[in-house]
Amino acid sequence: MDFRKIKGVFYPRTDEQVQEAVAWARERGYDVTPKGGGSGLSGACTGGDRDRVMISSLQMKEVLSVSKDQGYVDVQPGATPDEINVLLAPLKMKFYVTPSSRDVATVGGMLNTDGGGNDAWVNGTMRDNTLRAKIVLYDGRLITVEQKSVKSSDSQLESDLNSVGMTINDVASSHGTLGFVTELRLSIRPIVQERLIGGLAEYRDSDELGSTLRRMIETKSPVKYGEAIVAAHPDVRGELRPPELILEFPEDYASNLENITHFRKLTAEELAKLKDVRLKLPKRNPKKGLQLALFEDYGFYGDGLKMIQEGVAGIDLLLKKHGFVPFAKYGHAPSKWYLGNNAAAYGIILHSREIRPEGITKAEVFKAVMELVDLCEEAGITPKPEHKWPYNDKVKNDRIQQIREVIGEGFNTFVLQSDCNVVLSSMV
Amino acid sequence: MTFEKCVRCGSCMKICPIFDAMGEEQYSPRGKLYLLQVMDKVESDPELAKEFRRLLFQCAMCGRCTDVCSSDVDLLRIWHEQRARAIKDAPQEFAYLGALEKSLENVKNIYGLSPEDRAVYWLDELEQEIPNLRKRVFPEAKTADVVVFLGCLMSFRASQVDVLRALFKSLEILKVDYLVLGAEEFCCGHPLDLMGDEAGAKKLRTHNKRVIKQTGAKQLITCCPGCLSQLQNNYNFTGIEVLHHTQFFDRLLQSIEPYKQTEEFTYHDPCELHRICNVKTEPRSLLKKMGVQFRELELSCCGGGGLLRMTDPNLSDKIQQLRAAREKLSSTTVITACPACREQLLGNNLKTKDIIELLVTCLSEAKG
Repeated sequence: MDFRKIKGVFYPRTDEQVQEAVAWARERGYDVTPKGGGSGLSGACTGGDRDRVMISSLQMKEVLSVSKDQGYVDVQPGATPDEINVLLAPLKMKFYVTPSSRDVATVGGMLNTDGGGNDAWVNGTMRDNTLRAKIVLYDGRLITVEQKSVKSSDSQLESDLNSVGMTINDVASSHGTLGFVTELRLSIRPIVQERLIGGLAEYRDSDELGSTLRRMIETKSPVKYGEAIVAAHPDVRGELRPPELILEFPEDYASNLENITHFRKLTAEELAKLKDVRLKLPKRNPKKGLQLALFEDYGFYGDGLKMIQEGVAGIDLLLKKHGFVPFAKYGHAPSKWYLGNNAAAYGIILHSREIRPEGITKAEVFKAVMELVDLCEEAGITPKPEHKWPYNDKVKNDRIQQIREVIGEGFNTFVLQSDCNVVLSSMV
Repeated sequence: MTFEKCVRCGSCMKICPIFDAMGEEQYSPRGKLYLLQVMDKVESDPELAKEFRRLLFQCAMCGRCTDVCSSDVDLLRIWHEQRARAIKDAPQEFAYLGALEKSLENVKNIYGLSPEDRAVYWLDELEQEIPNLRKRVFPEAKTADVVVFLGCLMSFRASQVDVLRALFKSLEILKVDYLVLGAEEFCCGHPLDLMGDEAGAKKLRTHNKRVIKQTGAKQLITCCPGCLSQLQNNYNFTGIEVLHHTQFFDRLLQSIEPYKQTEEFTYHDPCELHRICNVKTEPRSLLKKMGVQFRELELSCCGGGGLLRMTDPNLSDKIQQLRAAREKLSSTTVITACPACREQLLGNNLKTKDIIELLVTCLSEAKG
């Protein structure tokens, strides 16, 4: 990271201030990198190594209006799910996309990574819950992207974008390459008072866990919370017995679930404790050394769920080859994410943490990352389904390029550069 | 270096009072830790290095970041160490702290006043109401079971006299064998600790420890959580129990005459009491025993800690003003148990009472 290449940092509060910041960058020929809460792990909000201007959404955190009847809330991009839900609570309404980083992650950032929570399985990802997004483009024009079309006061631009079929799907996972989101209309729904109970299912191996997930997906299981612990280092294992599945589901679903998997019912306290253990796994360190999210998560879906064991073994073999010690593997299951062609994938988002070897060079770390990407491609695993690995997603990148031909370039270009890998390796 | 353990999850950001007031990443704990992680680049740019040193003192040292961190990063320790390093590397940038250091070196209090005056202002004010008070002051009083360590704020500030009155009256009503250190009390060393001046703080501690030992005290009580943190954590007393006044009275009193409440109360946890000294239950227990109804406030800083009132008074005020607006403080009386929080609340035109002020009302009522 060369600080000298960051030519300006802006913290706008209004659309106009965003336009001014973008104009400042444009007049000087700098790229613009939007940044939200910074909790994501795609690396896109670093802006790579170009001369660039950073525009943060951290001071655009107002909830602008709420329509309980029509089920939406208009918010600025820097609001977090927690902040939105505090305001919605008295109305007994909720914004249902709540990742574990919901206290920090901004909704603008979450749309740009198409983030979801551990309950994306039932509540969808950001694109499923964003009705529209207002975006400032590099040339200063404003567009409103909706679920099926685009609106703009510039009729030619509106027509051009609609002719290429731009929708909210294109903004989702675009990693700041299209523009700066200044406002979002998000879907909200009533808080449902439902009696939920907890359960813990333990498995012989990860394939058995995967088969259970397949059946849950096929039967559209109404599980509200599902977290799989596939592996945990002794330093953080505690009472965990991986592979296991922590579940929370409607009480009247218990007998149906028993037809899918054996499980032990949990008391509310046991469930809360296990949720807390899971929540803190990404943040805890080993007794010796430091943990690292070398490659944040892996998406196993479809037939891949039958081969989690083999997939994880391959990943671990590769990690060990490069000197990393596997530290923990856990994740949302069942879950949902979208592939580059906007098709939904259902499976497990398996997070991974490693112990960083001492003295490893940046080049070696990056080599390991690239080999993991190759391994994912060969094995039909989605690389980083939650936090995204946009750099090798040809389908998505081609689509972004198509839209940028209409709206212009200038936003976070490094993500789409052919030499992106070189840039990324320099940032390790 | 525990800052390397930071995984930049950002949990410390939104709960940081400085980030809340400033809204820019570099003011957040995560931002500062990031700068530490790339210190080679920071130090290669003199302006950036200067900016970083300034940022270290734009911190209330409230410890909430340490509290929320799941990655075992001891942020408070890091801030202490880095502050010491900053002053050592660029003393000229911290000349404004020189007066404080000089005061503590020469007259052993933060106000630069004569050490003899430590037991003058409040004695003048309270002597008529509490006739034997002068005899309670060391060295006229030579020994006692309980020694009261007042601290600089309570010894010199007129705004604290109501708390002192309540404290001494409560001790008198409960017939506690106590003495006050008076002019022989030096600053506890907390401000120097916050500046990373371990050697200076040690000198003050050595003197205080010697005097306190002479009194034969079994218990040492203080109303100031800053002093408490020093006395508990850095003095290494043997045979002397160090207590906050809320702990002392909560242990002493099993039941208390109910408080006749006529106003709306909120309770603010002093950061050093709650997070650093881990005193959480006793203030609430006392309020419960008195039957006081109150609204809990966010576990957030008043803005008065970490020398922030000296290093950036506008920021310090802004933190309190944001809280006051958000938590609707102007319509309530904020109960607290810290002289620094009291100063901060009063300075922002908010009503406040120390728990001991409520207690003395109950005790006086019971006494008739």
